[in-house]
Amino acid sequence: MIQPTSPTQPNPSPLAEGETAEQHAAFEARIARGEKIEPGDWMPAEYRRQLIRMISQHAHSEVVGMLPEGEWIDRAPTLRRKTILMAKVQDEAGHGQYLYHAAETLGATREEMVQALLSRRAKYSSIFNYPTRNWADVGMIGWLVDGAAIKNQTMLAGCSYGPYSRAMVRICSEETFHHKQGKEMIVLYAQGTPEQRQMAQDALNRWWWPALMMLGPHDADSPNTGVLSRWGVKLKTNDEVRQEFINEHVPELLEAGLTIPDPDLHQDAQGNWKHGPINWDEFWAVIRGERGLGRERLATRQAAQDEGAWVREALEAYAARQARPEAAD
Amino acid sequence: MASVPPSPKTPDTPHPDTQWPRWEVFKQDAPQRPYQAVGSVHAGDPEHALLTARNVFVRRPAAVSLWAVREADILTATPEELTTHPERLEQAGPGGTYWLGIKRTHKRSMTYVDLVGSCEATGPGDALRQARDAHPEALTWLVFPDAAKVATDPDPGTVESWFAPAQDKTYKQQQHYGTIGRHVGELKRSGLMPARATEEPHLGTGVSGPGPAGRGDEGSEVKAPGGQE
Repeated sequence: MIQPTSPTQPNPSPLAEGETAEQHAAFEARIARGEKIEPGDWMPAEYRRQLIRMISQHAHSEVVGMLPEGEWIDRAPTLRRKTILMAKVQDEAGHGQYLYHAAETLGATREEMVQALLSRRAKYSSIFNYPTRNWADVGMIGWLVDGAAIKNQTMLAGCSYGPYSRAMVRICSEETFHHKQGKEMIVLYAQGTPEQRQMAQDALNRWWWPALMMLGPHDADSPNTGVLSRWGVKLKTNDEVRQEFINEHVPELLEAGLTIPDPDLHQDAQGNWKHGPINWDEFWAVIRGERGLGRERLATRQAAQDEGAWVREALEAYAARQARPEAAD
Repeated sequence: MASVPPSPKTPDTPHPDTQWPRWEVFKQDAPQRPYQAVGSVHAGDPEHALLTARNVFVRRPAAVSLWAVREADILTATPEELTTHPERLEQAGPGGTYWLGIKRTHKRSMTYVDLVGSCEATGPGDALRQARDAHPEALTWLVFPDAAKVATDPDPGTVESWFAPAQDKTYKQQQHYGTIGRHVGELKRSGLMPARATEEPHLGTGVSGPGPAGRGDEGSEVKAPGGQE
């Protein structure tokens, strides 16, 4: 997922207090040899900090990502579409769990991470603050949003930190279903009645630009990319991943008979599809919560936390009673 | 909320809460296959741990059995850790039968360690030493006492009711959707879809010698979805 950071944040020095250049050199040599770093291994404090930030934000994105689509489960037009959507939303919950687990291997606790999300200290992908206005949005999210996420996650599956890499391999394998079901739905509607075609086009008009933005700021404005690529976490830049996404999706959207809402879109001499200027003001406004549904999303998440409190307390009381010897039978 | 104190690491949590202890989950995909560490869940008791493990790690058809082990009962070490923390080989604890797991490769994978067998040990440190001696080439060793594990019921009826429902849900597999529209190869031949976005992956900055993209043995893509584990 994207890593929303302020463009003015300085790039921190990787050599932290108490760390030596020799330790860093040995660590970077391991990464250069293609070794995975595992939880017990030595790692720079900055590597740990960046990974916790990145993985926990990624986990939050999976969890909040259930909300825009979950709203449509009881409005799905057929039983088949409903079972597919339920499975997809359930997958997103599972992906959040995989990722929280990966962050916990670095010393972050679940309580800290949940609290950071609810108190707005941690961010999540801006894409989930856009509203889902019609049923075709569910298909368009699968095709474009999950399509963009897979591009990013396929890269991260090769990252240097073992637990994050393993979570990504598992997630990518499941996300391809999300992508396929969305593409299937949209292609069907694009070839359907005039009303269905209009619904698919309307969804594309609203999701195209947010999908491009979710892959993160342009490389020149992405302050964390330097240290993350140095340590084998990000193996490609935001713009490279975005270009791959566009190259793959533009021909397929055009083939479906849809119009991409970018008058400047064209192929360069190498065949790459080049997009027009992106409205980054909108991106940062959504990140800051000035636009979109950020407030509503967090309120929903907070309500789930509050309304589930009695379940957690009951389970804890049960576990405590089981642990007492006299409760053995 | 009483029995488990809140983590001391969360002084800013306004209402102390807990997500319960962590349990490592080991999944067996088919009879005779090794149990593999797939990740962890938080749970208050053994049954809760196994149910949550199924919901998190077995939404796709690939399991006949699950084990869950409390994090506190597991001892792990990488070769690097044993040079900095050799005392781990002396760690005391209950004697008895221990399970041994090892990580074999740096290649992309969904799983961490495979359980490779069991041994009789005087404690976790002794079991770790035996795991290292039997598998000196391993990239990580992991041990836990047999008495610490909880397992799903091996009764065929229980296996069926726990794991079979996922098998009928073929719509969760991307193969279910087949090829939609023109094949990617056709789009590429027509020039509408360039073969690669960039010729060379980003190599990063500042690392001398071969960068992360120079890794030889993994290929540049995640292996095809579906052919997993």
